[in-house]
Amino acid sequence: MSADVMIRPRTRAVPAGTRRRKRHDPGRVLRLYVPLGMYLVFTLVPFYWMLVFALRPAGSTDPVPWPITFEHFETVWNDIGYAVFFKNSVIVGVWSLLFTTVIAVMGGYALSRYRFRGRGLFMVVLLCTQFIPGAMMLIPLFSIFKSLGLINSLASLIVADTVFNLPLSIILMSGFISAVPFTVEEAAMVDGCTRFRGFLAIVLPQLRPGLIAVGSFAFIHTWNNFLFALMFVSKQDSFTIPVGLSYTIGEYSADFGALAAGGVVAALPVVCVFAVVQRYLVHGISAGAVKG
Amino acid sequence: MKMKVAWAALAVLAVTATGCGSDSGSGEGSGKTTITFWDNNGGTRTPIYQELIKRFEAANPSIHVEYVGVPIASVQQKYDTAIAGGDTPDVGGVTTSYLANLTGQQALEPADEWLAKSSVNGKLATPMLDSVRKTVPDGKLYLVPGTSNMDVVWYLKDKLQQAPNTWDEFFKDADDLTKKPDEYGYTIRGGAGSIFQILAEMYSYSGVPEFFDASGKSTVNDPKNVEFLTKMAGLYKKDTPEADVTNDFPKMVAAFGTGKIAMMHHNLGSYNDHVKAHGKDKIGAFALPTGPGGKRTVVANPVDGFAVFKNSEHKDAAWKFVEFLVSHDSNSYWNQQTGQIPANTEAQGDSWLQGLEHLKTAVDTLNDPNTQVVSPPYYLPQFSSITKADTEPLFQKVLLGQMKPQEFLDTLAQKLTDAQAEWKKATGG
Repeated sequence: MSADVMIRPRTRAVPAGTRRRKRHDPGRVLRLYVPLGMYLVFTLVPFYWMLVFALRPAGSTDPVPWPITFEHFETVWNDIGYAVFFKNSVIVGVWSLLFTTVIAVMGGYALSRYRFRGRGLFMVVLLCTQFIPGAMMLIPLFSIFKSLGLINSLASLIVADTVFNLPLSIILMSGFISAVPFTVEEAAMVDGCTRFRGFLAIVLPQLRPGLIAVGSFAFIHTWNNFLFALMFVSKQDSFTIPVGLSYTIGEYSADFGALAAGGVVAALPVVCVFAVVQRYLVHGISAGAVKG
Repeated sequence: MKMKVAWAALAVLAVTATGCGSDSGSGEGSGKTTITFWDNNGGTRTPIYQELIKRFEAANPSIHVEYVGVPIASVQQKYDTAIAGGDTPDVGGVTTSYLANLTGQQALEPADEWLAKSSVNGKLATPMLDSVRKTVPDGKLYLVPGTSNMDVVWYLKDKLQQAPNTWDEFFKDADDLTKKPDEYGYTIRGGAGSIFQILAEMYSYSGVPEFFDASGKSTVNDPKNVEFLTKMAGLYKKDTPEADVTNDFPKMVAAFGTGKIAMMHHNLGSYNDHVKAHGKDKIGAFALPTGPGGKRTVVANPVDGFAVFKNSEHKDAAWKFVEFLVSHDSNSYWNQQTGQIPANTEAQGDSWLQGLEHLKTAVDTLNDPNTQVVSPPYYLPQFSSITKADTEPLFQKVLLGQMKPQEFLDTLAQKLTDAQAEWKKATGG
């Protein structure tokens, strides 16, 4: 064995990347690309079927959506009322994103930079709130919103979703802020900055991945929230997309074309958000998750 | 520049948010009475109600109706939350499946006195009124029936030329029409909603007239019912697709829509889906076949209708709207659009209904004096959980051969017997 190694002529030194491209490694294809390809097919086939149902005429069983029709999109947009539901979802999603992000930065900063009595307990309580299902809080929240006059208003959804988004967002953000050395902030303060100015000038720019991670998490969670959207609102023109989606399955009949078209409309913003922020998101969530 | 854009976006959002949700106050200032109406199956029925509301408001200019469509899957939770929070609508769509739950929370106003003085008195189908009254312990009319449904077997006319009359003929047809590898004679509902369908089939086979005998014991595990379930479970995978074990109604209807399945048991409500998939002329429907005794037995479907809520501040206007919805013209229009059986007896005689073969079959079957109607115990608060969460997984075990039909029906019967005893004790019966 060792003799073989000794008599083998030395290969010419080539850049590592070039060698990797030239060498055909069937094992690597089997180990890496086949499972990845299978996973991709497994993930994308349901989306393909959703598109097929959304784009092919009612009654067609063709696996290819041809001829293409947009009748189902017209149904969901005009007849079911997605035009209104979409606008409401955007309003609730964007406001919830803004409130969640701003409050999470403030809460995360306090947890990261200050040592105060009960800090550990507060973190535990924040974590514990994640175990409380939204359905359990429905009636108390309903009563509170009713006494505040917020029932049937999108404001109730913005408040409820922000509150439910906050615990995880604060924990994530505190991890992010901890990753920025306090000494940098101190240096800014030595140079004459106030603490707030130092935070704005030094810390905030470095929190971009965290802000994107928390913001997108808040937006997507709010966008998909069906329960609050149905329970706190009893006005047809104040419902959001998830409620509209559930309209397509009736008691005795289901409009699969409309359901699929509604699914495409509902998924599109989420897919777009992911496409734009995914590189920050992976880094953001992992960085925020490991810092205490 | 970036900051300016951000502030501008924020300002736009602020403007939109301030305009979101609060009541426009239309109606209040103009002296109109505004009532809210919750449709318990919002979505496809929304345009029908919008048309009816337009007609009602034209006839009653002093009343404005605010429509809210509630998705069917969440309607009970929506009502429960609204009752707990004291924010119920004036009028709500309600079915007998959860009527007992609502009356148990003292949420509804009985309509007996209103109906007695109404123009629709005597014009609503007696079996539906009886079914509603039987659902609640005090026998009052908390729900004014608007429609009902009936279980039928849908079939493709190009595959099955002659509808079977008896279950024996049905089992033979299911077998004959199966052409492996991908054509099946029948499809079984093995997922959500399976129990109600299997109950309807078993009682139509056995002809057992009541869900409970005189001593309060459930008749679900009657030997004839066991015999039927054994036969039906035997069809699974032989004459039905293997995927049937998880079939809920949308999957079942979609599978029937592919044209690979010859017969499917559902109810009248899926008519429009079948027409969309196959065309009007290619589908037919027959009432569930008769058992060895030859007697037609039908398990009553839930009655769907309208209830006035106790918290309503405009009860008279609310009743006026209910009365309008069950009047001849409105009830006829609603049921023609949905393809269901009208509660208004005048509407039952309308020409559109006579022209629809499946509806005529259903109405004729229900009105036939020889038809025996078995009423399920919708009044039991646990009926829904017993026939869904508790026993649907067990039915799947029966299909998969992991549980014997006798064992399954004994379990179901025991649960129903216990619930019945508890209910009798609670109501002093």
